[in-house]
Amino acid sequence: MTRYGMLINAKDCIGCYTCRVSCQRQNDLVPTEAFIRFLDSESGAYPRVKTEVLPVQCMHCKDAPCAKACPTGATYVTDGGIVRVDQGKCIGCKYCMAVCPYGARVVNESTGTVDKCRLCAADLTENGTPNCSCVSACLTGCRMVGDLDDPESEIAKAVLDLNARPLTGDPNAAIYYVR
Amino acid sequence: MLDAKLSRRGFLAGAAGAAAAVGASGYLSFGAWEKAHADEADDEPRFAGHSACGGCYSKCAYSAYVKNGRLGKIVGDKDHAFGVGKPCARGYGWSQMAYSANRLTDPLKRTEDGDFEVISWDQAYQEIGDKIKEIIATSGPQALSLVETGSVSMDFYVQRLFTALGCANMYRHGVACNLARNSGLLQSIGTGDFGADYANAKAVMFIGRSFADGIRPAYVAEVKAARDNGAYLIMVDPRYNSSMGFCDEWLPINPGTDLAFILAMAHVVVRDGLEDKEFIESDTVGFDIWAESLKQYTPEWAEKITGIAAADIERLAKLLAENAPAASIDSGWRAVTGCSYINSGETARAIAAFNGLLGCWNKPGGAILFPAAPAFGKLEDPRFAAPPAVKDKKLGAKEYPVSLYSMVSANFLMEQIQEGNVRGIVFCQSNMVGGYSNPKVLEEILTSAELSVDIEVQMTDTARCCKYVLPDTSFLERDDLPWSFAYAVPCLTLRSQVVDVLHPNTRPVHQIAKELAEACGVGQYFDFTLDELAEAQLNTLGLTLTEMREKGSISYPDKGVDYGAPIKWGTASGKFQFANDDMTKVGLTPDVNWIEPLVMPSGDEFRLIGGKQPIHSQSWTTDNPELIQITHDYDLTRIWMNAARAAELGIADGDEVEVYNDLNTGKVRVKVTERLNPTCIWMPSGYGCNSPDLTNAYGVGLSFMSFVPFQRDPYYGATMSQEALVKVRKVGA
Repeated sequence: MTRYGMLINAKDCIGCYTCRVSCQRQNDLVPTEAFIRFLDSESGAYPRVKTEVLPVQCMHCKDAPCAKACPTGATYVTDGGIVRVDQGKCIGCKYCMAVCPYGARVVNESTGTVDKCRLCAADLTENGTPNCSCVSACLTGCRMVGDLDDPESEIAKAVLDLNARPLTGDPNAAIYYVR
Repeated sequence: MLDAKLSRRGFLAGAAGAAAAVGASGYLSFGAWEKAHADEADDEPRFAGHSACGGCYSKCAYSAYVKNGRLGKIVGDKDHAFGVGKPCARGYGWSQMAYSANRLTDPLKRTEDGDFEVISWDQAYQEIGDKIKEIIATSGPQALSLVETGSVSMDFYVQRLFTALGCANMYRHGVACNLARNSGLLQSIGTGDFGADYANAKAVMFIGRSFADGIRPAYVAEVKAARDNGAYLIMVDPRYNSSMGFCDEWLPINPGTDLAFILAMAHVVVRDGLEDKEFIESDTVGFDIWAESLKQYTPEWAEKITGIAAADIERLAKLLAENAPAASIDSGWRAVTGCSYINSGETARAIAAFNGLLGCWNKPGGAILFPAAPAFGKLEDPRFAAPPAVKDKKLGAKEYPVSLYSMVSANFLMEQIQEGNVRGIVFCQSNMVGGYSNPKVLEEILTSAELSVDIEVQMTDTARCCKYVLPDTSFLERDDLPWSFAYAVPCLTLRSQVVDVLHPNTRPVHQIAKELAEACGVGQYFDFTLDELAEAQLNTLGLTLTEMREKGSISYPDKGVDYGAPIKWGTASGKFQFANDDMTKVGLTPDVNWIEPLVMPSGDEFRLIGGKQPIHSQSWTTDNPELIQITHDYDLTRIWMNAARAAELGIADGDEVEVYNDLNTGKVRVKVTERLNPTCIWMPSGYGCNSPDLTNAYGVGLSFMSFVPFQRDPYYGATMSQEALVKVRKVGA
């Protein structure tokens, strides 16, 4: 089975917000609607300091709690394992926001409906469509998209090579991080 | 009828189409445009041509896609030498500029009470033209001035207008950017800029420059390549900045003391005989003079000033020398070397001189001098001939004889206005009041000027102080002239119009310049269209306008840096200059020596230092809804304070504090951090917009420059943005 996912090499993330805004352009989002947010942390004491920026977005969970919670079937899972929201069916009840463990869902202020990362980079990459998804736009190339279930795919190999793991160790998540 | 005029613009292959589109769209109001386009329905975004970002001066090129009449996605053009196919956050956000609710839409005139009234273009041209003619008649053309920085056609047209008027007073933003750096470098290496072959370097030291904060996408890619290739990267910066993820070592230097640090490293290299003697013999002058001076600058001396241990200075000097010539100190940009301190220009010279010791110039992995940009040939058509050259030099050139002429101090110009020597000023896309120096003083001077005109897209802090404000179209709504520039490789790029003109009463800057010229009686120098000029320029390079519109950008990799070839130094001596007698004209020594910062914090004072965030270009982008939303979401107007100092003051992370000095007081939240030298406060430098019309930016954050006096360094006239002290107290404590 195909299971699309993403690898984010956080060691190369400079926290420049490019992915957030490029995603807004690629997906026609309003300015307050960001599918990617950033967890910024510092550790150590002056002058021996370390920092980390982690871009966080929908983890496209297997057995997605948001899909279960959705009363209208607006949130659904594609054959490739991508969690998507049919904006036409969304009634803006926000149940999905309450159950998302990653706080990855946002309200579109102009429509009142809820949306989130569509993993658009998977289709765009496959189709070769010119795009400004987070994967294409990243200034340091820290993102990769592909089929996690295909052992021959670039992403599956990179997950192994770089010892990438889901953010909280959650095996349901399809976004893998190198930290 | 409406639909016919609004038909989707499509990809314009030639000149006639572009002109027609501008003309046709001029009949419609923004409301009509919105309504008409609401009825269209594209399934997929349609390629509309190559634009180039207007979010900073790198002007990275991208392919613009339009959906339902509106610019949607943009995809970077790889052949652009700065953009390398990767716009940054500003590029994506600023691509929506055309749709800003805060655009200027009509010519405006300031009334007695400070408000603005809408006037016709005819009235604007008549009144401005008459005043310019009167000023020239009674005080001469040197009583006029221009401050502009922007697009390529803007540069060409408004500079041509001023040349036609006989005025040499044309200034740019260098005074608050890299005036001291470029001037200092000019005196050492004969050109105002240099780079590094980062990808092949074994070691690079950055001094107050962060490629991940002051972004140019090519640099981000290069510093990452350097890291990937195993280079040892050293960051000298009071702040643990966003580039640290790629760096091996952080040296949190006391701000303003970088010059002492470099001098001490140079001391070590020369003391131990590690300099490149062959390069020094063949290519340089003044080494012996500098070597003698360097004897006093021991690492122990520098440790007391810089806060960096003598042992570290010794180690890093040797590390760079041992890795030479595949090692260099980066040239910096605005911070440290550009305009921050009284010693900024000398710090730039010291960096160049240290690289001279390394003998790394144009060596693989070393410092590089950029190749020549593609040069347009002579244009045969007499209509393009330049107006007679102006014999006068711009004001300030005499007072700052070692400055790069193109960057002579705009703060000096403002003093000339204050003193009545200059009576008229025209701005183009230059928010001087918002950032060149102390806004209060600049506002006072500008509002008192007899004639002030701003050609702008938004009501900046500068525009609101001007008597006349003329609305430019946004960069997305107009064609531009081809831009020829060079980075590691030469590059040619062309920005084309990609969306219809949205506001019918705005006009592209090249048209405004031409019409102003007519109003001033010098219209004869503008008897051609922008497309005719672009075509003629491109023809001299064997290209056509049609071809260039299709390609967008062309790079010339075979004409890049010729590593190892003999260097033709552009200095007066024809050599690399460790020492230069011209420096004595402004009271400096021929070689580089230590200069104390103008002010030093003591007691509970902090030095105020600033810097860019990757989402803003100083004040220019802060009204953009996408970008200012990031500021809000991440509370990015906060000042940074060292954790130990914060503890002493009883200040906790997130507290609201008051930042104050003799010039200004302002409230802001604080980020308490281990990432900052304890002697300073770091404040993001683009906020504190004071123009109520910019509803997204107005009142957000503090204005950095409001804490800095109206001042100039005595050598180049740069604004000394970090020669200012502040105190901080907790609000309500």
